Amino acid sequence: MMENEEPPKERVVKPQEALEGIEAGKGFQERLIHKVTSSELWRSVIRHGSPALRRNRALTVISNFFLHLHPLSIPRRALAFAHTWCMGGITFLLFLVLTVSGVLLMFYYVPEVGRAYEDMKDLQFAVSFGMLMRNLHRWSAHAMVVAVILHMMRVFYSGAYKPPRQFNWVIGVSLLVLTLLLSFTGYLLPWDQLSLWAITVGANMAGATPLVGYQGPFHELLGARVDNDVRFLLLGGTLVGQNALLRFYVLHCIVLPLVAVLGMAIHFWRVRKDGGISKPL
Amino acid sequence: MVAATPVEGTQDRRPMSVGQRLSRRFFAILGLGGLAGVVAAWSAGLVRFLFPRILYEPPMNFVAGDPDAYRSGEVETRWQKDHRVWVVREGEELYALIAQCTHLGCTPTWFADEQLFKCPCHGSNFTRAGDPVAGPAPSPLYRASVQRGMDGQLQVNKAISENRPGPRDAAPFVLRLKSGQRGERSA
Amino acid sequence: MAETLETMPVHEDVGQAVTVRRQVATHPVADPAAGADDVHVWPHLVYREFLCALAVVGLLLLLALLFNAPLEDRANPSATPNPAKAAWYFLGLQELLVYFDPWFAGVVLPSLILIGLMMLPYLDLNRGDGPGQVEEPRRLAVPFFSAGLALWFGLILIGQYFRGLSWAWYWPWENWNIPKVTESFTWSFPVWLGLPVVLLYGAAGAWLPARISPRFLRRLGWTRYLIVSVFLTIAAAIPIKILLRLLLNVKYVLKTPWFNL
Repeated sequence: MMENEEPPKERVVKPQEALEGIEAGKGFQERLIHKVTSSELWRSVIRHGSPALRRNRALTVISNFFLHLHPLSIPRRALAFAHTWCMGGITFLLFLVLTVSGVLLMFYYVPEVGRAYEDMKDLQFAVSFGMLMRNLHRWSAHAMVVAVILHMMRVFYSGAYKPPRQFNWVIGVSLLVLTLLLSFTGYLLPWDQLSLWAITVGANMAGATPLVGYQGPFHELLGARVDNDVRFLLLGGTLVGQNALLRFYVLHCIVLPLVAVLGMAIHFWRVRKDGGISKPL
Repeated sequence: MVAATPVEGTQDRRPMSVGQRLSRRFFAILGLGGLAGVVAAWSAGLVRFLFPRILYEPPMNFVAGDPDAYRSGEVETRWQKDHRVWVVREGEELYALIAQCTHLGCTPTWFADEQLFKCPCHGSNFTRAGDPVAGPAPSPLYRASVQRGMDGQLQVNKAISENRPGPRDAAPFVLRLKSGQRGERSA
Repeated sequence: MAETLETMPVHEDVGQAVTVRRQVATHPVADPAAGADDVHVWPHLVYREFLCALAVVGLLLLLALLFNAPLEDRANPSATPNPAKAAWYFLGLQELLVYFDPWFAGVVLPSLILIGLMMLPYLDLNRGDGPGQVEEPRRLAVPFFSAGLALWFGLILIGQYFRGLSWAWYWPWENWNIPKVTESFTWSFPVWLGLPVVLLYGAAGAWLPARISPRFLRRLGWTRYLIVSVFLTIAAAIPIKILLRLLLNVKYVLKTPWFNL
């Protein structure tokens, strides 16, 4: 249940009054809080007073790096959970969880065909909380795919891709592709049977690309062979081996996350620039 | 040098002086063109960089024992684990099928009671000769080159392969085990 | 202590920014009352986001504690597990590979889906006055998108729950450990039949939408109309081909030396 909103015309509390109110309280606690919050160190970090004041609520959002993504105010109806299902935000949250758990997993994982599988076993049986971290990473990845698809469905059905938001939808589709690519590249890293055969099949599909894949239609025109086509470029070899593992590792841990972060930054920024959260229909 | 960009309509017909030819516009085009060229060259180099020139992959050829030891009508699967090859003998003819589905590269399984290779990934079925009879596989299984080495052993080379009916039914993709062949070779 | 909030210079600057932003936020001129119903993001939205994040992380931890991520045997290039399944979100594509060649099901079709999705906002001209508003009921967009989603998730469900050993069809009550004797031997249309069928189908796909609704063509204009009808035609071909395979065992409708459809 929502908290009761203050009426739009609330009593305007002058900052001076509020300050005097705090000063008036002679309790030790109040004086300590005042001492701390009026120190130079505190004010260099938190640049505004208590968010109890209407203006300071605005300053909280504006002057905070992490919160400035938001506008100052949004339509009351956009607060309802059913309006967005929070799916965009949940996708971003899952990306953060994946980044943290993924970086931690990297401490115990070597992308080398002789070791990768052993490292997975170590993570499961020898590393404290290793299994938990791996589970967290795995299920967050699945959840992120679900969330990003639900987010796309919500945006479609609420018509939120219509002008002026056309291009942000395009960026969103690119982010969906990046999510799937991140999943696909991460799939190879455990180096088990599931990994090998999923990537073998996936890479062979790339080998069936028209013109530039050695098994695709019209591959003779450009002279695509097994050792010079787009599949070879992806795997760094003619089969899923050491080069493929290393390539997928680098793509999964560095290249794709960086591109995704860039895409997300533009995506969020444009939500604001294109008129904020879409109003309920 | 004075930058002399000719204004449209005011040009006279005299040939342009060197200074006019080497105008700002000329240098701008030269500069941008050069930049585009450098970017293109770098991109081409980057793409080439991503294609390795040395591969550390398992060898494509191996020795598969005495060819006369294979029994007719049977599919020998013992090389599958290390070399991904099945050796099949039909009467006096021997060939080696590469155990790689022509659809998307999974390793099919030999089911002796059905006399079919069945692919677990997308359900393609192949006969003992390698011809697809069900599922999505677009073409027959490949046959590797088979030859009798100097020592009489069977030599299989996957680097040379063929799957078109006709070429695949002749040497070097089929080894004939006619009686006396060994004698001729060793003579 | 004499310095108050009012005298802190940074506040003056930011305070002005607040005024400006405030005007921007309440800007829609058409609806003067728009800003009146707004609420502050802090705390109303922020605490909801925080609760939502807590709930999601809690759920993830629960999942991670209850279910272990799968890890099969070490990768072995010479033994494919049977059945070999892709991750669930790619199972729809894997199931399509039964009906189409890899160049189509694995490369061309996914590319078309993504390109089509990206072009969607530029092709959908059913726009109202404000953002997110529509002029009329979305009679094409919603059913088409929903049918696409239904097909996608339907194929995923089939791939996950109805495909067993050697990718053969298994009903839920059948035992996956017993291999099925495959008897579905397939056939293809000869070229003299396949080529006219494909060409006629394409022509019908370009012509029918305009025949059914001339207004549709008028509103979109020729370029957009042709793009939309190409997407519609290709999308409709997928269930048609699936039915042809399942009911009549047709492998290819069009067979050429270079590619098959």
